Amino acid sequence: MRALLVAAAAALALSVAAASAATPARGCPAAWLKGWQALANKVGAPVYCPKQMPNPLDAKIGGRYADIYSIGKDRSYLVSFLEHGDLGSGDVHVNFRGYPGRSAIPRCPGPVKKGSTIPCFSDPVGHMRANGIVATVYQVNQGADQWHILLAWHYERSLYTVSEHVIAPYRFSTQVKRNLARLLGSLVLVRPQG
Amino acid sequence: MRLDRRRFLGGAAAAALGGAGIYELVDRLSGGSPARPVATGQPPEQHVLDLRTVQSEGVEVIVPPLHSEVFTATVQDVDLLKAQSRLEDVLGQLDAKYEASPAGLGITVAWGLPWFERVRTAADRHLPFDRRAQKSVLLPNRRFPSDPESTLLEDNDVAFLLRSDRSENIADAREALFGLDFLHVTSVRRGFAGGGFEGKPSLPKQLAMRAGVPGADLIPDTSELFLGFTSTQKAGLGPRLIANHETLGYVDLRGGYFHGGTHMHLSHISEDLEAWYLNFDFGERVLTAFAPGQKAHRNQQTVSQGPEDVQDATRLRQGFTRTGRFGHSGSIQPTSRLQQDVVGPDGTVYPKGTAIPQRADFNTLDNPFAFSANQARDRWSSDPTAGVHFVVFNPTGDDFERNRLAMDGVLPDGSKLEVAPRSRAQGFNSVLTTTHRQNFLVPPRRHRSFPLAEL
Repeated sequence: MRALLVAAAAALALSVAAASAATPARGCPAAWLKGWQALANKVGAPVYCPKQMPNPLDAKIGGRYADIYSIGKDRSYLVSFLEHGDLGSGDVHVNFRGYPGRSAIPRCPGPVKKGSTIPCFSDPVGHMRANGIVATVYQVNQGADQWHILLAWHYERSLYTVSEHVIAPYRFSTQVKRNLARLLGSLVLVRPQG
Repeated sequence: MRLDRRRFLGGAAAAALGGAGIYELVDRLSGGSPARPVATGQPPEQHVLDLRTVQSEGVEVIVPPLHSEVFTATVQDVDLLKAQSRLEDVLGQLDAKYEASPAGLGITVAWGLPWFERVRTAADRHLPFDRRAQKSVLLPNRRFPSDPESTLLEDNDVAFLLRSDRSENIADAREALFGLDFLHVTSVRRGFAGGGFEGKPSLPKQLAMRAGVPGADLIPDTSELFLGFTSTQKAGLGPRLIANHETLGYVDLRGGYFHGGTHMHLSHISEDLEAWYLNFDFGERVLTAFAPGQKAHRNQQTVSQGPEDVQDATRLRQGFTRTGRFGHSGSIQPTSRLQQDVVGPDGTVYPKGTAIPQRADFNTLDNPFAFSANQARDRWSSDPTAGVHFVVFNPTGDDFERNRLAMDGVLPDGSKLEVAPRSRAQGFNSVLTTTHRQNFLVPPRRHRSFPLAEL
C-alpha cells in the first residue's frame, strides 16, 4: 500500500510540476525569447517557441537543458532539449525542427542498404489540432528523432516538427502524445527581425 | 525520487490482481470460450489438437486455445516403473475427464535428452533416426547465429504442455500433476493467444496495457500477436499428421516404438515492442515479417501465405540480392514448406507448398517464466515483458534446426545470405531475444509416461 501511495504522490508531483512550467504570457517566455529570436533571425524565417515544456525541461536555448543547436546550410534547424537522468529518473528529450522554404518530408539514410534513403518521418497515426495548427502524428522517425513520437505541420510553405522521446519517465506513447498536445497548444511564432 | 510509470503500473497491477496473476484477465477480456469442434476420443498422437478456423481478412485462420501453459520438471531418483504407472494413471484420469479439444484439455508430455540418457540402453535401440540428416531425431540443444551468448540451454527431463480455452481445466491438470512427488518442477510458463478474430479487440494489447509493458499502447487493437500480424493462418501451419516422425519419410522408426511421435522445441523469446513499432514503419514491418516486395494494405494484419504465395530458395536469394535483406516468413519457407508433393504412409497427399511445422506458440508476459525454481540462473523478474513461449512440432530435430537456421539466412543447400547476426536486414531477429531453449521428443500417447522405462 505504501508503494502505491508513494507512486500516486510521485505521479501527482509530475503533473503539478508540468502545469507549473506553463507560462500564461501570450508570447514566447521572456527568459527564452532571446534565443528563439536569434534563431529566427539566423534562418530568416519564423520559428516556433514553446510556452510550455514537459517537466523538468525549459526551452531556453543555451540554458541548462540545451542539447543540440544546429543550423544547416539550407537554413533547416534542429534545436533540442534534454534532461539525462543518470540516477534513474529517466530521460526527457524534445526536438524542434524547421525546414524554411521546404514542405516535403526530408529523406534519411536507410537502415539496411548503403546509399538507400527513407522518409525521416513515417507511419502517420493521426492528427492533432491546436493553436490553429493541424499536425500529423508520426510514429516512426529517424536520426535525432528515432524512438520519438513526432508532430509535423506546414506554415507558409515550410515544414516544422516537434518530437519527444518515448522513454521513462514518459514511458508510453500515449503519455508522450499528451505532452506533445500541450506543447503544440503552447507554440508561438517568433518572426525574424531586422 | 521520481517513480516511473512502469513501476507504478506494475505495483498497482500486482496489488490489484493478487496472487491470481495477470492471465486471470484472459477469461474476463476474451468474452468467453470460442465454439469448438467436438472431439471424438483421444488421438494416438499427443500433439494433435483439432481447432476450428475462421476467416480473417479473407484468409482461413486457426483459432488457437485461449490459455496455454508449459511446466518443466526433472525426475527424482525413484522406481521408474512405479512412476510410469502413477503418471499414466493421472494422465488417464485427465483424459477421461476432459475431451481432447480446447473446450476440454490438450495435454502433451515431452521428454528431453537428460531423460533418455537415464534409459540409454533402450534409447540406443529405439530412438528414431533421421535418415535425411544421419542423426538422431533428438539433438543436443544449441544456440543459433542470432542467439545471444546469454541464451540458456536447458536440461529438463520432461515438459508438460497444457492447452485449453478454460483456465480452470489447466489448473486442475496442473494440480494433479504437481501432486506427483517424483517430479521436481523447474519452471512454469503461462500465456494466452487470440481472442481477437471477427473484429473483436484481441488479448495481446489489452493484457500488455494492463501489465504496463513498454510499447503496449503501440500494438494494434485487434492483433493476434504482440508484433501485429496473424500467425495462425491455416496454410502456414502443418496439417494434422505431417509433423509425425513417420509421415514424410525422413525417419527410420526402428522398432516402431515412437510411431506417432514427433519432435518438440521449446523456447522463450522476448520481444522489443518499442523497437518494432517506433523504428519500423508499417511497410518495413511487412517486409520484415514476410518478404521484400510483400504487398499489404495499410494496417493489414493477416497476410496470405498460401502455397502460391511462398518463396523458394531462388526467389529468396533474388530478393536478397535486390534489397540486401530478407523477411522472416520468406526466409523460412524454403525449409518449412514442402518443395514437392509428398504422399504420406496413409495415402494422404501433401502438395508442394504445404507447411511442415505445427506451431503451438503463445503470447506471454512472463519474464521469462511465471515461476522459476532457479531464479538466478533463469534471470527471473517479476516485471512483465512481452514475449512468446515458442512451441513447435517438427518431424525431427534437424528439421527444426533447418528452419531456425533459415531465420538466420542459411539456405537449404547450406549456403548463407551474408547478413550480420541480429541485423535489421534479417527478419525479426533484431527485435527478438531468445532467453531459453530445449529440444524434446514427444512419444505417441501410448508411451507418453516415462518412455522406454519398461524395457
